Amino acid sequence: MHYLLAESGVDRIKHAINVICEPAPFFVLSCVALGVFLIGYRFWTKPVVAAIFGGGAVLFYALSALDPNFFLIIAKPDNVPISMMMLLVGFFTWLAFRQAAINDARLEKGEPLLEAGADDKVLVWPDLVYTEFIALILCTAFLIVWAIYLRAPLEQPADPSVAPNPAKAPWYFLGLQELLVYFDPWIAGVLLPGLIILGLVALPYIDKNPRGNGYYTFKERWFVITTYMFGWVVLWVVLIVFGTFLRGPNWIFFGPYEFWDAHKLAALLNIQFRDIVWIQALGRGLPGHWLVREAPGLAFIGFWFTGLPFLLAWTVMRKVYRQIGFIRYVIAVQLLLWMFLVPLKMAFRWTINLQYFVAITEFFFNI
Amino acid sequence: MPTKELVTKVWIDPGCIVCDACENTCPEVFEVTDDTCIIRPAALATAFTKPLTKTIIEAAQECPVDVIKYETAAVEVSEEEAAKIFGEGESAPAIAAAGASASAEHAAPAAKPAPAAKPAAAAVAAEAPAARSHAPVAPADIGDPNVQALLRAATARGGQAGISKARGGVISADPLRTDPDNLPPDARFAKTLLAAQKTKKDPTRREAITFGTVAMVGGWAAFAAATGIVVGPAGLSFSMPRALEEPDPRVRVGPLSQFIEMKPGDVNEDYKPKGIWMIREEDRVAALNIICTHLGCIPNWLPNDRKFLCPCHGSGYYFTGVNFQGPTPRPLERFRVTVEDGIVVVDKSKKFQHELGQWEMPESHLAV
Repeated sequence: MHYLLAESGVDRIKHAINVICEPAPFFVLSCVALGVFLIGYRFWTKPVVAAIFGGGAVLFYALSALDPNFFLIIAKPDNVPISMMMLLVGFFTWLAFRQAAINDARLEKGEPLLEAGADDKVLVWPDLVYTEFIALILCTAFLIVWAIYLRAPLEQPADPSVAPNPAKAPWYFLGLQELLVYFDPWIAGVLLPGLIILGLVALPYIDKNPRGNGYYTFKERWFVITTYMFGWVVLWVVLIVFGTFLRGPNWIFFGPYEFWDAHKLAALLNIQFRDIVWIQALGRGLPGHWLVREAPGLAFIGFWFTGLPFLLAWTVMRKVYRQIGFIRYVIAVQLLLWMFLVPLKMAFRWTINLQYFVAITEFFFNI
Repeated sequence: MPTKELVTKVWIDPGCIVCDACENTCPEVFEVTDDTCIIRPAALATAFTKPLTKTIIEAAQECPVDVIKYETAAVEVSEEEAAKIFGEGESAPAIAAAGASASAEHAAPAAKPAPAAKPAAAAVAAEAPAARSHAPVAPADIGDPNVQALLRAATARGGQAGISKARGGVISADPLRTDPDNLPPDARFAKTLLAAQKTKKDPTRREAITFGTVAMVGGWAAFAAATGIVVGPAGLSFSMPRALEEPDPRVRVGPLSQFIEMKPGDVNEDYKPKGIWMIREEDRVAALNIICTHLGCIPNWLPNDRKFLCPCHGSGYYFTGVNFQGPTPRPLERFRVTVEDGIVVVDKSKKFQHELGQWEMPESHLAV
């Protein structure tokens, strides 16, 4: 709103940040930031560098809170845990990678690891029980103070014909709610969460590489750690940030310093993959039968889940295939492909408003 | 029953020279370690030493430095026990020999005073019944110069020295496999213990868990069955109420003229609380279901933008209910509409879906 008036320098910065926080740039920047962090992890995890960046982020956050629109969002009682979560994610990521950086440097010099000779066995009583007891007391005190000072929002009586606008899930499910924007409910609400859980359960059976067991390292396990960090930080935490800070009324994207205007225009006219192929590329009408009509999308999905594994096993993942064997490879690559289908679909939605690859509305089969 | 002198207590005074003689003679009682000889713990019990009286006394006699001491007491034993303890036919003479040897040795080199404990042993031995016929084994019988040197050293200090043939002191590795009567008493006791354990054994972890699981499942099953019997009929009657309170699916929404007067493209939200949007197209009036076909939220009508937008996932519909934006795969549903006496009646029990080509069916709309 206010950048329509005479723009000050601060307004220009805010406007630039709003533009950067459009979904596509934000997502790409998140991936780039993750990549830069992982490549230079030994530099970024140095205590001084990390302190400067962490302090800078907190300072930026605090200065942003001076903006009334931003403050309105972060001050919502629902959203307070997300600010804490971001701090904690940053801290623990730093902690793990700091130790990995130290260990990797030691491994190169042939020195003993941080964990070498560490006798981390303690007695249950009193060591563990006391620690747990103290943690319990502190958490209880913290929750009581929180509950007193930030009261749970109590809204108007429920009305089955009115939904709050925007209607948001609990903060920890906002990533899943964001997935529902891009996928059919049965995929985003059932299949993908199920695959996340099953995939995490299956990890130790798929990944039988003993390196990194019992000590921090990044160099020895860069591929799996990078994959995991992508799934966790980008596809989970960033999507929660999307859902919390950037999704406003009618579930439209808003910049962090933008006023949540329920009448913001968003021209998002969906197109289908079949339209691109049959109408735009082939210049003819849609075939009548659904199977012919959706053949391009089905072919693409079919290639993605059956052709691509062979292609990968033959090319870039040849070594992995040899290492882990057929069954492990098939499971791992299917999980990976599902994981990468999510950002692919999101990218298509953001760029060309592609709604579905396969849209068989006749019997609710949409991918 | 005859009364026999049996060993009730055995101990070792300081001064052991670690010669292994006693262990060879009576391995049940003596154990020679690296720097001394000790009494095995089991042999501290009177019940253990009594049957071994013969060999203990033999060991005491053989000891080159005479540090093995023992006490005896008169005990009534049966004939066969006596035979078992002292061997066939020579039960009494064994002890007699001990006493005799002690006295004899005492007498012979009499010039020197006996070691401190010697009189005690001698006194003990002297209490034995007197049948002094056997002489001690002569030291000269042993050829080994080391042993000879030991024996000389022992006798030179006024002690008694004698060596009998070393007996095989091997006890079976598994005492329970041998005849229990030939076992040392502690092994017999162990066998008794083991037998007792067999009959009264603590449950293993697996048994405990199995028992616990069975008990828990059984207990819950019994509880559920009891609850079902008691509460079941009541619950059934609750789930089958006699009066069904369900809103009439037929909603009278107003005169047809009211909707015909609307501008094409307008939406009437008056009946949204009843779940209905009345819409006016160019050539027809229709009733939309307000439930989003994506995931069941309630979209909002934005009059300025002329579209429905869902607040949950951003699905967008034109005023006709046709989807164009966001994740929703299909248009909003339409209800059956009829006119009764000039009043439009919406029947929410019958829905028409666009993707199935049902919007052209007769009662899906009112032609204007």
